[in-house]
Amino acid sequence: MCRIWAVAKNTIRQALRMKVAVVFIVLLLVLLPVMGYTASGDGTLRGRLQTFVSYGLSLTSLLLSLLTIIVSIYSITSDIEYRQIYTVVTKPIRRYELILGKLLGVVVLDVALLTLFCGVVYGFIVLMPKFVNASEEELTQIQNEFFTARASLVPPLIDVSKEVDEVYAKLEANDQLEIAYPHSTPEEIRKYLTSRIRLEKRAAAVGGGLVWEFTNVRPSDPNHQSLFIRFKYDVSVTPPDEQVYGDWRIGDLRGLQTGTPVDTPVWRVPRKDPVRKFREIEVPASAVAKDGYLAVAYGNPPLNNTVVLFPVEDGLEVLYKADSFLGNYVRGALLILCRLVFLACLGVMAASFLSFPVAILFCLVIFVTGATSGGIIESFGYMGKNVSLVYRYTIEGIIHLLPQFDKFSPTQFLIPARLIPWSLIGKVVLVMVCLKAALLLALALIIFSFRELAKVVV
Amino acid sequence: MDYAIETVALTKVFSDWWGRAKVYAVDDLNLQIRPNEVFGLLGPNGSGKTTTIKMLLGLLHPTKGHAVLLGGDGADPRINARVGFLPEESYLYRFLNARETLDFYGRLFGLDSKTREMRIEALLEMVGLKAVASRPVGTYSKGMARRIGLAQALINDPDLLILDEPTTGLDPIGTRQIKDLIIKLAERGKTVLLCSHLLADVEDVCDRIAILYGGKVQAHGRVGDLLKKTNKTQILTDAISDATVDRIRDVLRREHVECEISSPMERLETFFINTVVEAQQQATPTSGAVSTTQIGEFLTAGARGDDILNKLVVAPVSERPQAGSSRTDRPQPQEAAVTPEPNKDLLTKLTRSTASPAAEPVAPEKGKTVEVVPETTVQREQVKKNILDELTGKKQPDGSTVKPSDGPQEGGGHV
Repeated sequence: MCRIWAVAKNTIRQALRMKVAVVFIVLLLVLLPVMGYTASGDGTLRGRLQTFVSYGLSLTSLLLSLLTIIVSIYSITSDIEYRQIYTVVTKPIRRYELILGKLLGVVVLDVALLTLFCGVVYGFIVLMPKFVNASEEELTQIQNEFFTARASLVPPLIDVSKEVDEVYAKLEANDQLEIAYPHSTPEEIRKYLTSRIRLEKRAAAVGGGLVWEFTNVRPSDPNHQSLFIRFKYDVSVTPPDEQVYGDWRIGDLRGLQTGTPVDTPVWRVPRKDPVRKFREIEVPASAVAKDGYLAVAYGNPPLNNTVVLFPVEDGLEVLYKADSFLGNYVRGALLILCRLVFLACLGVMAASFLSFPVAILFCLVIFVTGATSGGIIESFGYMGKNVSLVYRYTIEGIIHLLPQFDKFSPTQFLIPARLIPWSLIGKVVLVMVCLKAALLLALALIIFSFRELAKVVV
Repeated sequence: MDYAIETVALTKVFSDWWGRAKVYAVDDLNLQIRPNEVFGLLGPNGSGKTTTIKMLLGLLHPTKGHAVLLGGDGADPRINARVGFLPEESYLYRFLNARETLDFYGRLFGLDSKTREMRIEALLEMVGLKAVASRPVGTYSKGMARRIGLAQALINDPDLLILDEPTTGLDPIGTRQIKDLIIKLAERGKTVLLCSHLLADVEDVCDRIAILYGGKVQAHGRVGDLLKKTNKTQILTDAISDATVDRIRDVLRREHVECEISSPMERLETFFINTVVEAQQQATPTSGAVSTTQIGEFLTAGARGDDILNKLVVAPVSERPQAGSSRTDRPQPQEAAVTPEPNKDLLTKLTRSTASPAAEPVAPEKGKTVEVVPETTVQREQVKKNILDELTGKKQPDGSTVKPSDGPQEGGGHV
């Protein structure tokens, strides 16, 4: 351990004294305040904060990712190229200890810099409201919608396979498949039917309504906090003013069904909101029943004169404060750290057998692919059937092996003040660090232990 | 017998991208280096010396055959702990300073902080870099880097020292000191593998040598055996009058012996050292330019070299009490007549002259000494005594000195 730490310390010194890290540090220390000053967002204080946290953390994460790749690769390849490795591996240190030392050095450097920069960003975020002329209303808004960590409950997807089967069988029996869905395969028809039937279940006819039920709603302080119903309307016929009415009821609605009184309040909220825009209804969290039950009902008043739909993906969710902003922010930083650890292992692996420029290129390609893997995987869905088959069994597998940075980006949680659950951190640690990164590291150790370090490749 | 280094049919073939053999860098090499031996591996550039060393230490994998270091594998940390290695160039971390460099290597050996500190200070003093120890080694000259390289090879007090061209880039004083150091280490029971193409270095310090060419051993054996005696006798005296020279000629003529008499010039090495010492005496102690103080301190440090070595090797010496006396296999015909630690004398005198130039306590030579030396017999101790005497002789007012030389190439007086 003494030897591993000696190598780690040396790696950190190298990164700092060879000015590799210094460039990134200076860049961040200059850019972050500039961003804090210029970030304006949609003009509101919340918008400013959201823009700053988004840009600040993204920039920190991006620059530290690049720094990690460069330092982890440089510290190994330069040792080999400038042959310091001759005097190091001939000392009583195992080669795996050398690699682990380099990795430890990079990770320690990452932790230190991440702490520093996340601290700077956090400082700006906390101070920003004090330096901006904000109204009381805006300050309350940021407390509720930014400086918080809200858990999100989404109604579960309903299993509609039975209905799909029925409709499909009916169409088939009547020989209407080809007429209704020309040039489509049975899978495509089923897929279409599934989404159609699901949407039907989220549609409130004129005069009708919808009820969603949630269990296990656990706000951290029900007596002083609020629940937020975040929703988006869609309509079959757009009203002239693009607004629809809604008659919302929120609370323990089981009492209404059974006729027994309940001891928690039920809130009735009549509203008028624009269509196809996210809106939030705030009600006190005391509406949640003692057993964690909560129901949300939407009534479509006849006044609307149109069917109101709630899109399947993001039409409705319930948000409530589950943790403090700081706790959430720290978890966001942990997500970034997981990414950096992965990249450090990747860099070490590449450096164990590639020269500096090639290894950098290799890692950057993987980094960029990882940062956009969600989009790439999604794009397979739009391909023709035959082509997508080929891709499915070749490249898609490889892409799944790659990290999915975009899926675990902290900003997508922090901007809408969503709770980053520990379960997500656990999953990322398990998959990205313990599985993928460990695999890369094992590969690096094996390659490095057996390669000829003094071999000159021309 | 257990060898310190043994290679069995060691072969290294460098192949091209297609796997076709391109170069036989080392070809079926069988070396046996005994413990407590100073072994010289000689050869022109590209003869496979460095490749052999890299294979010994596991930096390259042999194509065929194997090498045994101290009874084990050269890549095994337990063996590495007992080996000191100085590569052909001192590949150092440019961003570390000298002290940090040694501390880093000390940590790799798992030395505790007390031992590490003590050894670092001792080594910095020994290699004369104490004054510049806080400068990044990237700013060092080649010779200074070499000294740090040597210090890192010694930090673990190795049983086996592998030196790849240790004297390249060093000034004559540094070269001299490395040679003396090698001899000292050998006296303390260490094994040294010296790899060089500077023949003078090898000749001065090695017990046995092997000459490589094309990756094969072309000649090997004791230096004394390999260099045959010529059928000549060399007489060296202090300056003598022409009349005496004529009388010697007469005597020799009666014996029917041809002779050649000349006054040998001062050796450049001696001249160099004297010049540096004089320069040091003139400079004030604080204002010295870097190079002057550096060499001064280096010499001063060298005088205490014995203490340093003692400090470094305290434990091993007590473990091996026989180390000094067991060295009977060396070609030392005149061992009894030679001062046991001439280096110490030399450097002590230099130190004293630096400290108080007025005192100049150099003893004058007692009358004329005539030494008869069999030509071309290699004797390390004599080499050292040689500069020692020359240095002390230089201080005398009449300054006439004729001293034994190492061999014909160094311009001795042939009688």
